[in-house]
Amino acid sequence: MKRSIAVVLGAAATAISLVLAGCGSGSDSSDSSSGPVTLTLAGWSLSTTPEFKTLADGFHAAHPDVTVQLKEYDATNYDTQMIADLAAGKAPDIYVQKNLKNFYTYQHGKQLLDVSDVAKGLGDKVGGLSDYQLGGKTYAIPYRQDSWVLFYNKDLFGKAGVAVPDGSWTWDDYVSAAKQLTARLKVAGSKALGDYQHTWQSTVQGFALAQTSGADLTSGNFSYLKPFYTRALDLQSSGAQVSLGDATTNSLTYQAEFGKQQAAMMLMGTWYIATLLAQQSSGDADQFQWGMAPAPQSDKSTTGTSATPVTFGDPTGLGINPKLGKGKVAAAKQFLAYAAGEDGAKALAGIGITPADSAAVTDTFFALKGMPTDDVSKFAFAKHDTKPENPVSQYTAGLQNVLNDLHTAVMSGSKPVDAAISEAQSRAKNEVLNK
Amino acid sequence: MTSMPVARRRRSRPVWRNTVVGWSFLLPNFIGFAVLTLVPVVLLFYYAFTSWDVFGGAEWTGLANFRQLLHDHSFWTALSNTVYYTLFHIPLTLAASLVLALLLNRKLRAVAFFRTVAFFPYITSIVALAQVWNMLFSPGYGPINEILRAVGVHHPPGWTTSADWSMPAVILVGTWREMGYYMLLFLAGLQAIPTQLYEAARVDGATAWQRFRAVTLPGLRPTTFFVTVMLTIGSFKVFDLILVMTNGGPGQSTLVLSQFIYQKGFVENQFGYASAVSIVLFVVCLLVTVAQFSVNRRRNA
Repeated sequence: MKRSIAVVLGAAATAISLVLAGCGSGSDSSDSSSGPVTLTLAGWSLSTTPEFKTLADGFHAAHPDVTVQLKEYDATNYDTQMIADLAAGKAPDIYVQKNLKNFYTYQHGKQLLDVSDVAKGLGDKVGGLSDYQLGGKTYAIPYRQDSWVLFYNKDLFGKAGVAVPDGSWTWDDYVSAAKQLTARLKVAGSKALGDYQHTWQSTVQGFALAQTSGADLTSGNFSYLKPFYTRALDLQSSGAQVSLGDATTNSLTYQAEFGKQQAAMMLMGTWYIATLLAQQSSGDADQFQWGMAPAPQSDKSTTGTSATPVTFGDPTGLGINPKLGKGKVAAAKQFLAYAAGEDGAKALAGIGITPADSAAVTDTFFALKGMPTDDVSKFAFAKHDTKPENPVSQYTAGLQNVLNDLHTAVMSGSKPVDAAISEAQSRAKNEVLNK
Repeated sequence: MTSMPVARRRRSRPVWRNTVVGWSFLLPNFIGFAVLTLVPVVLLFYYAFTSWDVFGGAEWTGLANFRQLLHDHSFWTALSNTVYYTLFHIPLTLAASLVLALLLNRKLRAVAFFRTVAFFPYITSIVALAQVWNMLFSPGYGPINEILRAVGVHHPPGWTTSADWSMPAVILVGTWREMGYYMLLFLAGLQAIPTQLYEAARVDGATAWQRFRAVTLPGLRPTTFFVTVMLTIGSFKVFDLILVMTNGGPGQSTLVLSQFIYQKGFVENQFGYASAVSIVLFVVCLLVTVAQFSVNRRRNA
């Protein structure tokens, strides 16, 4: 009996010490001497998102003494997991700013190393760099800059006998084309609708914020949303697009809606190019001719191929964890410069990713198998004034949550636009902007 | 109760030894509980009075979080939605599970099969449940509205996509999901009622309804009390079902307290504020449960 107590207590003591050992954070024993360096880089869904491996391998080829190891995170919960890892001191040396919404949280929480010297070396070719600048310093380097464009199905346009978008469209042209397509496709015996608007708030609010002059998210005045919602509701009620309710309750995916030819047009970010190419070659998407056009504009002043169309999109950036070992800083900065520079851009374009330096790679990009070859598509890809979807501020995350409630309330028909906007404004004032 | 032979304690040593053995058996579980539950809960009470945002220090801000709560319109929306859910979910589930238990407490052919069927929703993954129910509820193509249209309802409700109907839809699914579990508890309670009581009631000429009122319900009182307490706590902290079915929408029509906490904490990184809301939820649950216990004690007395 005595013996068994001792055994049990001994086991318990071992368990405790194991738990304690597990909790204590092992301090990073990084040597400051030159020589082989191993950097860790955060990524998500590594099996379907090849960009991280492409960058890591490309950098290793150019700098053989530096190895970049990937650490996988969950795509949906990336920021939650990263924040927890950073707070625990377990985060990788270099981590991705998946969107601008949480950039402020990281920067304000002192979780980003000042990389102004890298930014200085890159010049002004890299899109989205200014979004990461606060107080004259740069805290992350963008390596991809997606912009929203109009994807359209050339086959369905042909079937309906509607003229394809030529870059001159305003939103009114878009709405009438969507209605015309729906009606004529029905006559032609096709079930496809004119357009598909995905469930995200950005499909309406991103364009409203980018294209309305004087619109400012942090002003707490959201009246700029009204014309954009009026049009979206019009498309929805006329049956030219699937309603938000049907899209959410049936968990529709935009990849299937456009890829399986359920809709002739879809506004989406340029990240969809890589997916569409991959799905068309794997058979997950139908085989059809498609193209890109600039997003419809608020007025004629920014339409046509001689002007620069205004659209939106958040850059995806790389930041350095300040807790990385002293000897790794130089290598990490080199990696950032590589990823954002021309070499990284070419490597990314080779797998269908829109790099931050997009003008440098248009030819590489359109040489990919399955890409459209018309001039409007090239123009849509290469030229645009891309405004951030989430302008950096301490209020952005809170305001976007308020505006997401507005989006579901309006698009579900639960609240009229004006009432929803005034409610969102008072919530923004009382719950977010007063902090 | 059977009488047990009383053990004579001659020395205190075996008692002490038994205590140690008992504790040592308890210890592995208690360590896990302490590290993963107890410590975080105690810390929560500290963080509620700070402006903690995960990184860096938690600055002591006194009652600022609670003052902010008072003026936070969304918090009150979440609280009233939670009460709405609770007020309907508890009686509906209680009634549904009791009826099911009464139906399945008799000698039926294949009664085990039906009991299993009633229990199925409870063990099915909640994400799968939400997905399928959402499809059923789909306003345009869903079978529920197809049936309603077929029987002559021209404007069937939008269910999870309408601000007025989203909460009833969620309550319906919540009740359907949980009634099997509470049915099981009621079945156990029903079988604990001595059959002599029913026989005696029958001899006295009591009708089925009278037997139910005078024998079944009083006999079930301990079970009913337990089920009510469990349902209350479960309803106040409802989260997963709402998150996967409506995500609080449309608008804020199904925003409940635990989701509000999740949003403030894990989406907006205001962990101090989220902790304060958690305390409010804890206090609400505590008060309601204490009230239920005192009512129950008075009845038993």
